[in-house]
Amino acid sequence: METILEGRGLARTYWLGATPVRALQGVDITIRRGELLVLQGPSGSGKTTLINLLGLLDHPDGGTLDLDGAPVATLDENARADLRRDRFGFVFQSFNLVAVLTASENVEYPMMLKGVPRETRKRRAADLLARVGLVEKTDVRPDLLSGGQRQRVAIARALANEPEVILADEPTANLDTRTADDVLDLMSVINEERRVAFVLSSHDPRVVARAQRVLTLCDGRIVATPSAP
Amino acid sequence: MSLFALALRNVARNRRRSVLTGGVVVFGFAAIALSGGFMSQSFEGLRDGTIRNGTGHLQFADPAFFAGSEDAALEHGLPGSDRAASILTQDPEVLAVLPRIDFVGLATNGNRSVPFLGTGLDPGPEARTMDTAKLLASGRWLQDVNERSVVLGSGLARALNVKAGDAITLLATTPEGVLNALDATVTGLADIPIKELDERYLATTLGLASELLVASGRVSKLVVVLHEPADATAALPRLLASLHRGGIEVAGKTWEELAAFYRQVRMLYVGIFGFMGLVLVVVVLLAAANTMMMAAAERTREIGTLRALGTRPSAIRRLFLAEGLILAVFGCLGGAILSLTIRAGLNHAGLTLPPPPGVSHGMPLHVNLYVTAYAAAAFAMSATLVVASWFPARRAARMPIIDALAHV
Repeated sequence: METILEGRGLARTYWLGATPVRALQGVDITIRRGELLVLQGPSGSGKTTLINLLGLLDHPDGGTLDLDGAPVATLDENARADLRRDRFGFVFQSFNLVAVLTASENVEYPMMLKGVPRETRKRRAADLLARVGLVEKTDVRPDLLSGGQRQRVAIARALANEPEVILADEPTANLDTRTADDVLDLMSVINEERRVAFVLSSHDPRVVARAQRVLTLCDGRIVATPSAP
Repeated sequence: MSLFALALRNVARNRRRSVLTGGVVVFGFAAIALSGGFMSQSFEGLRDGTIRNGTGHLQFADPAFFAGSEDAALEHGLPGSDRAASILTQDPEVLAVLPRIDFVGLATNGNRSVPFLGTGLDPGPEARTMDTAKLLASGRWLQDVNERSVVLGSGLARALNVKAGDAITLLATTPEGVLNALDATVTGLADIPIKELDERYLATTLGLASELLVASGRVSKLVVVLHEPADATAALPRLLASLHRGGIEVAGKTWEELAAFYRQVRMLYVGIFGFMGLVLVVVVLLAAANTMMMAAAERTREIGTLRALGTRPSAIRRLFLAEGLILAVFGCLGGAILSLTIRAGLNHAGLTLPPPPGVSHGMPLHVNLYVTAYAAAAFAMSATLVVASWFPARRAARMPIIDALAHV
């Protein structure tokens, strides 16, 4: 499969006062088009840090990160923002929908940033919400949606600008078992339908079970070799 | 949905806080607009009072007269004032030319002598263009240019213990230094608004003043009244040029140059209301800054999300500035409505303010619809809100995304 994103020797250190916390220590990772990759590992292993670096939400202290072969780790903030808008989708553990916007407007937001015309935005948001099973909730604000519905809106929002990679940090952690299964089903189907790469971080075995490839992290390093089920 | 629509919804998100901040803007706007209207009315009233109470729009005299180097009345008097008046009258903007003789002397009732500041004038044109005749408290105004009568300030009449119809004697020094005395009849008493002037005011006819000073055909100055709306500053060089072309060498001054009292009151008002305005701006700034900082702190994670989705830092700044501007716009609209309502109420109430220093009469309270003050208030409030929003906006835009997303 074609490589989209490639990190080499990625390192990130945080500081707790005067104490360094080495969250990532030289991680090599490749994301391929259309794959469903799960990062697993215990809390504090570096999963979220790696997701943040891959999604250009944070800067690595060391190593390189290439998107389609072009280095992106050292780009300025505006260029990184544009890449996040156009090439990546994000699904957060706490859904992170904008409280004052309706479900449809939340989905429209990334398209508005990209300058998509209003009518196109509306139509595409309606299609995406229909795709995630929320056709009747388009004008509802997040506080009136259940956790599962919110995460579905977040998935629709992540798909808004037709990204190549969707990064999801613990996407089922705040959902009950049944809702989590529904959300995972949806992600799997979208992954297959649209050939969008999904990178999920989780220590939920049900998530790991759906992965095409699993990377296990421990103490900021990859400790298990990639495997395909 | 646009960035502006998002800003509007964010303002509406915490209604109580937005209403409180908007309320501060409303009252700040109203205070600036109303005090501006009151200042405008005060300046306008003071201007009209200064012009109509004798100063006129322009005055022409010998340059030495304006320099204050006159030791005796008419020492630097204008000869041939009729010709100068004739030239001035030909200008289409000139409403009237009023010859005046300024002099000082003593007025006596036989038992008591009181110093006075006298003005010899032509009663007819003065009554038509000036308000002095309207200040009469008793008796009548002067009628004929050669009438041997006087109108006294009420304070001066009290000092002399005379009333309309009584006779007094005037003593003055002629330009040659000779003391001269004439009898005159008090025809009326006038209430002059400025107390110190009220105790010294004496108006008489040009005929009596000339006879008393033994200086026929000369006047101290020519007072010019222009048609309203008048631009004295523009008219002065034009009229001076006309006089110079006619061979008459005189100097001229506008009413504003002559009215030191007006300038002092204006400076005082600008100082007082400027300070008040500054205090208001600081209060609004602090209230608005508090609102915007709380909004930024409460929405830290949301800002992180917006950034993660691809919002540029500059757009985050614009979002907060738009929220500040929305508060300013609604606050200013509310302030304008409140100002107009209070203005209508005050103007309808017919209140009278206590007399300012040196003035014997209170002023009716009237607040002008002074558009400049409304514009200044809108600008001040908008600028204040933008400044108050700028720092939280900058902080939100600079925050690392992962820190914002991890904020609880």
